[in-house]
Amino acid sequence: MHKPAKMMGLACLVAAFGLIGAVAGLWAEENPNAGTSPGPQPPAASAALTLKVDQVHLDNGGQITVSGQAPAGKPVMLEMWAAARVRASFFDSKPGKDGVIPYKLYLTYEMPAFYRIVLPKDRQAALDEVKAQGKQWSFGEALKKLGAEAAFTQPAQAAIETYQASFLASVIGSRGDLLPKLDDKESRRRAMQLVKTRFRSPGKVFATGVESAPDGSFKAVIQLPEGSAPGDYFVAAVVDQTTRSQPVKLDNAITFPIVYMSNAGTSINLFWPFLLSLAIGTFGVLMGAGGGFILNPLLVSIWPLPHTIVAGTVMPTVLFSQGSGIYNYSKIKFINWKLGVTMGLAMLVGGFIGPKLTELITLDQFKFVFGWILLVLAALMLWQTTPGYLAKNKKEQEVLKQCKLMAEQAAKARKGEAPKC
Amino acid sequence: MIVNFMGQEFKVNIVLGCLGAFLIAIVSSMFGFGGGPFMVPLMTVGLRLPMFVVVGSSLLAIFFNTLMGSMRHYQFGNFDLLLFLVMFPAAILGGYIAPQIAKRVSPLWVKRIAVVGLTILALNLLGVY
Repeated sequence: MHKPAKMMGLACLVAAFGLIGAVAGLWAEENPNAGTSPGPQPPAASAALTLKVDQVHLDNGGQITVSGQAPAGKPVMLEMWAAARVRASFFDSKPGKDGVIPYKLYLTYEMPAFYRIVLPKDRQAALDEVKAQGKQWSFGEALKKLGAEAAFTQPAQAAIETYQASFLASVIGSRGDLLPKLDDKESRRRAMQLVKTRFRSPGKVFATGVESAPDGSFKAVIQLPEGSAPGDYFVAAVVDQTTRSQPVKLDNAITFPIVYMSNAGTSINLFWPFLLSLAIGTFGVLMGAGGGFILNPLLVSIWPLPHTIVAGTVMPTVLFSQGSGIYNYSKIKFINWKLGVTMGLAMLVGGFIGPKLTELITLDQFKFVFGWILLVLAALMLWQTTPGYLAKNKKEQEVLKQCKLMAEQAAKARKGEAPKC
Repeated sequence: MIVNFMGQEFKVNIVLGCLGAFLIAIVSSMFGFGGGPFMVPLMTVGLRLPMFVVVGSSLLAIFFNTLMGSMRHYQFGNFDLLLFLVMFPAAILGGYIAPQIAKRVSPLWVKRIAVVGLTILALNLLGVY
């Protein structure tokens, strides 16, 4: 009786895996420029502006002093960027001037892993105003307000892909139709939005500190924070759209156990995420919910990791424990294949759609929804500590224990005999 | 759908089950967690199945979601190998340590601590403080 049922379950499983394989092949997408690709070239340098740095080798960040000579009486800005590139995406779901929601996804693989514009010292007050806007700040407006538009060249040259998202495309798990290349002006504007989604706060992209003397010589101290990408960095001095110095090259080295996560674009001391995963994973097993619930929000809150990377990397960590759990249960025939596979197929479809949606939301939306999910989970847990639930659960657990024991005995005694409970 | 399990028969509203599983799968794969704590109540309360039927079968159902979700995240470039290599051994180690501790702590207290911890974390994420 049970044998055909099991065979059917297995057949379903095989079919499902086949489906995954076919679908995976169908939707495989190229990731051409992830990691470190040489960035686009900056505009031509002007001889009127020179720049030198006091040191060119940094070890997990540090301080560099930049000095140079500019035409007298002109404020100087510095643009600094990493050669390492990361992915950044921005989903435009705000109604435009015509009231139509564009639903467009802007995606680049060429965002510098580190980017900073250092402003003249006297613009600190304006920068503080931008910072005071909180999460509502706009990089484009900040550039205007700080008079830094001329310094914004590197991310502006990143190649941006535009996708027209639609409900149907989302359902089948596609990014939508790839739209024609943006014109230069639009590309620059979108690049500004991508800078904001990548670097989040004004303090991560802007700093003040360039001091100019009346004769045009200038000096600034730039801080490269710990956890920055390793590899080459460039600094260029900028006066206006046409006056720009030759970029100076530096490099940043990192040593084990600090490693660079190329997709996340951040260097992290390996020890800390390990310890965090261990603590949360252990507690997760104890409380009967996977650690992902707690690990995901903590990872995005503690480190500057993109939520897409966190969601996509935490998920496969539980594959092994789930797989071994299923194997152990299946050995004692403690799984109903018909029920598990039927509901599993529904989950397969859901799991196909979900990951596509992660990149359509911002980090703040990610945190907001996660907040509510955790409140629901907390309520579920609270319910599980009420006396009524505990009394019912005690009986259930005893039945469960007994049934499992009988299943184990049946598995030991005679292979192929269905256990009864 | 009629589910036969260990000599007992259960009648299950499979439409409700599949719809619930589908929605749980979308949210959990979007946010990168396993759907266990939501699937178990769905199957026990929603489908009225006893715990001994649910434990194994819900795990099997979730595995489909985790597998598909992981592959899709990988396709969209949402996977960092180094971060994975750091967290994966920690997750497995946690799986071995937890049962050792479990004998010494009361599950009720673990749940109570979890309620408080989850609420604090949730309020932080919602920007309440």
